[in-house]
Amino acid sequence: MSVAELKERHIAATANVNALRERLKQRRQELLDTDVAGYAKSHGKTAIGFGSTDLVCCRTLQGHTGKVYSLDWTPERNRIVSASQDGRLIVWNALTSQKTHAIKLHCAWVMTCAFAPNGQSVACGGLDSACSIFNLNSQVDRDGNIPISRVLTGHKGYVSSCQFVPDQETRLITGSGDQTCVLWDVTTGQRISVFGGEFPSGHTADVFSVSINSSNSNMFVSGSCDATARLWDTRIASRAVRTYHGHEGDVNAVKFFPDGQRFGTGSDDGTCRLFDMRTGHQLQIYSQQLDNNDNEVPTVTSIAFSISGRLLFAGYSNGNCYVWDTLVAEVVLNLGALQNSHEGRISCLGLSADGSALCTGSWDKNLKIWAFGGHRRVI
Amino acid sequence: MTTRRMRREEEVGAMGTTEGRSREEGEGRPPSRLPIPRTGDFLGKHRLSAAINRLDQEIHSLQEELDKLDSTEPSSAACKEVLVSMEGIPDALLPVTRGPEIAAWNRWFERVRSSHGHKWWQKGSDFS
Repeated sequence: MSVAELKERHIAATANVNALRERLKQRRQELLDTDVAGYAKSHGKTAIGFGSTDLVCCRTLQGHTGKVYSLDWTPERNRIVSASQDGRLIVWNALTSQKTHAIKLHCAWVMTCAFAPNGQSVACGGLDSACSIFNLNSQVDRDGNIPISRVLTGHKGYVSSCQFVPDQETRLITGSGDQTCVLWDVTTGQRISVFGGEFPSGHTADVFSVSINSSNSNMFVSGSCDATARLWDTRIASRAVRTYHGHEGDVNAVKFFPDGQRFGTGSDDGTCRLFDMRTGHQLQIYSQQLDNNDNEVPTVTSIAFSISGRLLFAGYSNGNCYVWDTLVAEVVLNLGALQNSHEGRISCLGLSADGSALCTGSWDKNLKIWAFGGHRRVI
Repeated sequence: MTTRRMRREEEVGAMGTTEGRSREEGEGRPPSRLPIPRTGDFLGKHRLSAAINRLDQEIHSLQEELDKLDSTEPSSAACKEVLVSMEGIPDALLPVTRGPEIAAWNRWFERVRSSHGHKWWQKGSDFS
């Protein structure tokens, strides 16, 4: 076949893809007979009412000398690992505010960190395109540093996100600027599977975030600069299970909903969205009304759900931390406007394992712990 | 920190326009021009074929997805599931929640000894 003929085929195939995408978009729109807020309100649900002193900052974890970029709680209740522009990981006892470990990294440009399920190891990754594992029980070297126990190399771009597989001590998933996600065996350092890249249906731009389904750890979602989220089955690396369209900007954050059947996303387009994993439906958009001054829309940097899923915490680039009532799609609180709130962008946040506390990390170099300090009514 | 935005966007349709050709060559040039270098031609065909394969795979996926939508229930079914999934789950951060209330939820406001002396936090007071 000549180049000219191939070009014609290419043009025809492109037109076909665009037409199919349009049909798909329309067909999906026809199936959206309601969103979560519409359904919930029609069933009598009203917004959660928070008193002004209900959610309070009860700890400020100070110690980083640079912006905080990432944090993760242990599965047992009280410890947090954080990663900062200062080139360090710090492990905190959030209850006492004490630092139990401070790890100076070989590569200071760290972007992500995670705790292993047993709480004995931490992982981190960044611009070195690798994921480093540290065993917190290791003997320190003569400089007082914890030595690296394993380096996971193979990504061709920065490591933006990492998470240990919840019920498998030895497996970890990374997301990367090379547009792929990788499932690793931490004990051998080997790549078990690569998601995307050479295979079709992979992301077409940098991956910024991953979230593993705690109800079914074979499934995880990834969020990308290509404005989509994709669902993967770790047993089938050859193609994404589904691609979720809707966002109009980079998807910076993805997090599974507690029931394991939905997941949330946060994006540069300033919105959070809730997608149904199985059907692909976009069930809800969480979006603030903008003023008419055409000010730049604050981007969503990070999200987390409360343990029941009723609350969606979203950190924004302007320092706001909105608490959304997931059911009625209204902002019920702004942690960024409370007393003792952060003085800069919220870059990361996460719930403790028992759901009793939220930790936020910020470009103001601090982490803060938020808990319910008001009168709780138990029904 | 350098920007995270090291983006390489592959636009559908951008491939195979002038790839493999030297800068002097292009569409609509007089036939008296030098022939296209063989290596460049091969690369152009190869890349075009690869791009077409990817598009064909995407067409297949999109068609599959469209077909599945014929038997997919509307969003109201999933919205109902969202509502139902929250019922009965005790949530420490809600002002009104199902029980049981776990004592450990309030540990953030209890007397805690730290190595810097006695520090404690009390429900309802200002602190950081």
